[in-house]
Amino acid sequence: MPAPHPAPGALSLSKGVEGQPLLVARGVTKHFGGVAAVEGVDLTVAEGEMLGLIGPNGAGKTTFINLLTGMEPLTAGQVTFRGRDISHQAAYLMGRMGMARTFQVVKPFRNLSVRENVAVGAMFGAGGAKRSSRESLAKADEVLAFVGMDAKARLGADQLTIPDLKRLELAKALAMEPKLLMLDEVMAGLHTREIEAAMELIRKVHASGVTVLVIEHVMKAIVGLSQRVVVLHYGEKIAEGQPREVMQNPKVIEAYLGQQYARRHAPAS
Amino acid sequence: MTRRNRIVSVIVAVALAALVLFPFLDVFSGALVRTVTVVVMAAATAQAWNLIGGYTGYPAFGNVAFFGVGGYAVAILMSKLHVDFIPAVLAGGLVAALYATLLGLPILRLKGHYFSIATLGVAEATREVVSNWTALTGGGSGITLPISPDIPPIFNRAMYFSMLAVFVGSVILTYGVTRSKLGYGLIAIREDEDAARSLGINTTRFKVTAFALSALVTGLAGGVYAYWNSQLIPEDAFSLDITLRAILISIIGGPGTLFGPALGAVAFEFMRNYLWDNFPGLQFTFLGLVMVLVIIFMPKGVMEFLTGRRRFTASALLQYVRQNRVS
Ligand SMILES: Nc1ncnc2c1ncn2[C@@H]1O[C@H](COP(=O)(O)OP(=O)(O)OP(=O)(O)O)[C@@H](O)[C@H]1O
Ligand SMILES: [Mg+2]
Repeated sequence: MPAPHPAPGALSLSKGVEGQPLLVARGVTKHFGGVAAVEGVDLTVAEGEMLGLIGPNGAGKTTFINLLTGMEPLTAGQVTFRGRDISHQAAYLMGRMGMARTFQVVKPFRNLSVRENVAVGAMFGAGGAKRSSRESLAKADEVLAFVGMDAKARLGADQLTIPDLKRLELAKALAMEPKLLMLDEVMAGLHTREIEAAMELIRKVHASGVTVLVIEHVMKAIVGLSQRVVVLHYGEKIAEGQPREVMQNPKVIEAYLGQQYARRHAPAS
Repeated sequence: MTRRNRIVSVIVAVALAALVLFPFLDVFSGALVRTVTVVVMAAATAQAWNLIGGYTGYPAFGNVAFFGVGGYAVAILMSKLHVDFIPAVLAGGLVAALYATLLGLPILRLKGHYFSIATLGVAEATREVVSNWTALTGGGSGITLPISPDIPPIFNRAMYFSMLAVFVGSVILTYGVTRSKLGYGLIAIREDEDAARSLGINTTRFKVTAFALSALVTGLAGGVYAYWNSQLIPEDAFSLDITLRAILISIIGGPGTLFGPALGAVAFEFMRNYLWDNFPGLQFTFLGLVMVLVIIFMPKGVMEFLTGRRRFTASALLQYVRQNRVS
């Protein structure tokens, strides 16, 4: 795919130096009791890149994001963001520093309207300090237009369908005006046409100057979007590189084949 | 202003005018002023509970601790330090808010029924301390406040207006909160605390603030109550009944709504009187039954019912069962 042009986006984001490390993870580890969900993962996310994170079910992708964003405490390791050690920083400060993420299991504020949901992101995210609640609602309208949900702004979040709930997750994260956006399976459950639209939207976000980390099981999307791909398997990083190269890596093929084998031979439930 | 807002403004203005004027009409006896004072007090404590229980979604079961602390602060300030009524009440509210801040830091780490039980425990513990700290509080036999020089009707009316001021203040406070970032943050915490945190909300600070504001209003009500009663004993000042009434009223009226507690207080008072008169001995059974019906048919209280978003129908019942059945 052509390298996206850093176009002047609708979201007016401050930009760092392309290619400089934005986030650095060293030996990041998480154990749940005896389960090593993430084990000694090293990863550098460069300013301005679009990075894919893949791995079979249960590989530790979501847990890894939870560790980077402070939602779960690290068992071991270190994370720096924009040059600052954030290994033990409270989750809300990550948001203020310019991290945003979507949740694989969507977390809408069900008793608020779509517009208010997004406004909360605008109020408390990286750009929130300068905004009143009223200005945040205006900002929410801007973001909803950007993601193509302006017609649904006044609906209750509990009235949305799954694809729209995924889109709302994205809108809330974008309203925070992040430098680094982490997307956890925003395309799961979407039809082919909806996937195309979502990819287009993610490209548009990236082009506006946001560094993006995409977790996705839809390989077409990963190959189509990512400049670089990292593969997790049983919590460990087993491969890293160009999308096509990584897909042909025997270790990666084995990890995915193992999963398909297990699925095909799973006892009928 | 929308049509609906205009209607609401008119209703509020009329209700407020009636509340301010009725004590001056001779046709109404002093007894009515005292009854309405009790209702307004319940509405104020419900409005206070609404901030932490309704908007923030933390079901506090120990708000009476702040009522008692506010009341005892006023009693001690007025009887031992000869502070005037109004500054004493304000100080009582602040002491209660400070107490909630200190308690909230550890307790608000708990969620759901763990939080409820912890607050219940704190209220009981506070009552024990007050009961046993005889030198300061008079212990179990209580503390006597200075008697007002006013004749009873004038005094009762003054206490009524003091309580009304606390209640109106609590409505204005709640309105301000719902319009501010604080309000959006509290609702976000109620709806999904992890999502709230991830969006940049300092959840601990927000929850403690809501708890402290809830305590402030409850403490002010307790302070006025103390002077009005002129005698404070731990059984009254820390009665579980105060907490339960605040919660029931909030739930009946509509938790997390601005006018829910006011409507709930009126509905509760009529219901209670009706049950007392017609089913002596069975009133608690019926009150419990009414609560169950309210929760099933109007999970968002009378407010939702008035705005026409819910009806008493079998399908509403079925929908409720579907949404809330176990697994
Ligand atoms: N809170 C938790 N407590 C215990 N184990 C957990 C917890 N969260 C995740 N795990 C375990 O950690 C491992 C990694 O899970 P994780 O959800 O991070 O995988 P994933 O790569 O996101 O999978 P998927 O593609 O299915 O979303 C799994 O074995 C999972 O069961
Ligand atoms: Mg996952």
